[in-house]
Amino acid sequence: MTLDWSVVWQHREALVAATGTTILLTIATMAIAVPCGLIVAALRLYAWAPVRTLATAYVELFRNLPLILVVFWAFYVLPIWTGLGLSPLATGLAALALNVTAYNAETFRAGLNSIRRGQVEAAMALGMSRAQALRRVIVPQALRRVLPVLASTWVSLFKDTSLVSVIAVTELAYVAMQVRAQTFRVLEMLTAMAAIYWLLGYPQAKLVDWIQRKYSVTE
Amino acid sequence: MTTPQSTAPRAKGGGLKIIRYRGVIKRFGSFTALNGVDLDVHAGEVVCLIGPSGSGKSTLLRCTNGLETIDGGDIEFEGALLPRDERVLRAMRARMGMVFQSFELFPHLTAQQNVAEGPRTVQKVSLAEANRRATAMLAKVGLADKAVNYPSALSGGQQQRVAIARALAMEPDVMLFDEPTSALDPETIGEVLNVMKALAEEGMTMVVVTHEMTFARRVGDWVAVFDTGRIVEQGPPSQIFDAPTTERTRDFLSHLGWSG
Repeated sequence: MTLDWSVVWQHREALVAATGTTILLTIATMAIAVPCGLIVAALRLYAWAPVRTLATAYVELFRNLPLILVVFWAFYVLPIWTGLGLSPLATGLAALALNVTAYNAETFRAGLNSIRRGQVEAAMALGMSRAQALRRVIVPQALRRVLPVLASTWVSLFKDTSLVSVIAVTELAYVAMQVRAQTFRVLEMLTAMAAIYWLLGYPQAKLVDWIQRKYSVTE
Repeated sequence: MTTPQSTAPRAKGGGLKIIRYRGVIKRFGSFTALNGVDLDVHAGEVVCLIGPSGSGKSTLLRCTNGLETIDGGDIEFEGALLPRDERVLRAMRARMGMVFQSFELFPHLTAQQNVAEGPRTVQKVSLAEANRRATAMLAKVGLADKAVNYPSALSGGQQQRVAIARALAMEPDVMLFDEPTSALDPETIGEVLNVMKALAEEGMTMVVVTHEMTFARRVGDWVAVFDTGRIVEQGPPSQIFDAPTTERTRDFLSHLGWSG
C-alpha cells in the first residue's frame, strides 16, 4: 500500500476552513452554555418550586441522552417544532448548546453549593439583598472554583463537535470524511484529521492543567 | 417568670435605648433556643452576653439583625420594631455592623475591597468615597499596610480586624460581635480585643457574645448571663463577677475557673 500525502495538501483550504468551523462551534457553544448554565443552576437552586423542577428536568434529560441522539433530534424535530429551516451549523450549535448547558448547570450548581452559608450571611449582614449577595459574593467565588471543570468541559466539547458531522455541518470531521470518500485516501485523511485535533487539543489540555494549578482553592 | 434584675443604674446613654428585647422566643423545630428574653441595650454601652455554649446568646445576636426570625416577643431597634418586610429590614440591618466568629471575609476580594464592598453595593456611595472609607477603617484597625492583601494572606487576628473594619465602613449605630475571638490563636486574641476596646472607648454601642470574661469585666458596661435560652442574671460586671445573685451564674463562672 502506497501512501499519498499530497491529498492533504491539495485539500488544505477546505481543511483550514473546516478547522475554523470547529473552533467557531466550540467558542459559540461555550458562549451560550456558560451564561445559560449559570442561569439554569441558579433556577435549580433559588427559583420558585415549579421552575426549579423544570430546570432539574431539563438538566437530567440532556445530561443523560447521548449527544449524537440530541444532534439527530435537533436536526429532525427542531424544524417541525419551530417551523424554522435552520442551517446545519445552527442546528448543530443548538444541539451542542443544549447538551453543554446541562453539564455546565451541574458544574455551577456544585460550585454555588460549595460556598459556605456564612458568606451569604456576611453579605446580608451588610444590608445586601439575596440577589446582591449572589452577584457580588457567591457567583464570583463559585466561578473561580468551577473554572478548572469548565476548562475540562471545553476540551471535551472541542472534540465532541465532531459529532455534528452526522448532520452535514462542514466542520473538520465532516470535511475530512468527505475528502476521504472522494479520494479513497482513508489513512491519509484520518491521520491528518487526528493530527489537527491533537495539535489543537493538546495546548488546550495543557492550559487546563495550568488553570487547575492556578485556581486551586486557597482559603 | 422573673429574671433577677440589677438595681444598679445604667451609667451610659441617659436612658436612650438603642435595642430592646421583650419576651423574645426562638425555636428551631422542637428545640427552644430563646425562651422569653428581656434585655435593653443603651446608647454607648457595651453589653456582653455570656453563658455556656448552646444557651442562646448567639441566637439572640442573630435575631437582632434579622438573620434569624423570632417566633415570639419583639425586638425594637432605635424605637421601631424589626420589620418583616425584607426591604425595610435590609435598611435596618445596614445600620448594625456584625462580626462573625469565622470572620467570613470575602476571599475573592482584597482587604481594601472587602471593606469598600458594603458602602459600594449597599449604600451606593462613589468608588472614591468607598475607598476613602476603606482606607480610613483599615488604618483604624491598624492594617493600613495590608490593604492590597487577600484574606488568605492574613493571620486570623488580622482577618478579624479587617472584618471589624468592613462592618465599621457602613458607619453603623451599633456593632454586634458573635464570639469574635473564639476561632483565634491565643496570641492574636489580644489584638482583636484591643480594637474592640478602642471602639468602646469611642462610644460605639456594642453587643458582644463572648467567652472572654476579662473583656466582659473590664470593657463591658452590662453583662447578661444566659442559660438554656434565658437570661438568668444581668447587671453591671461588678455584680456579675464579684457578687452574683444566682446559683447558676456562680456555677457557670466557677466552671470557667473564675475566682471573682
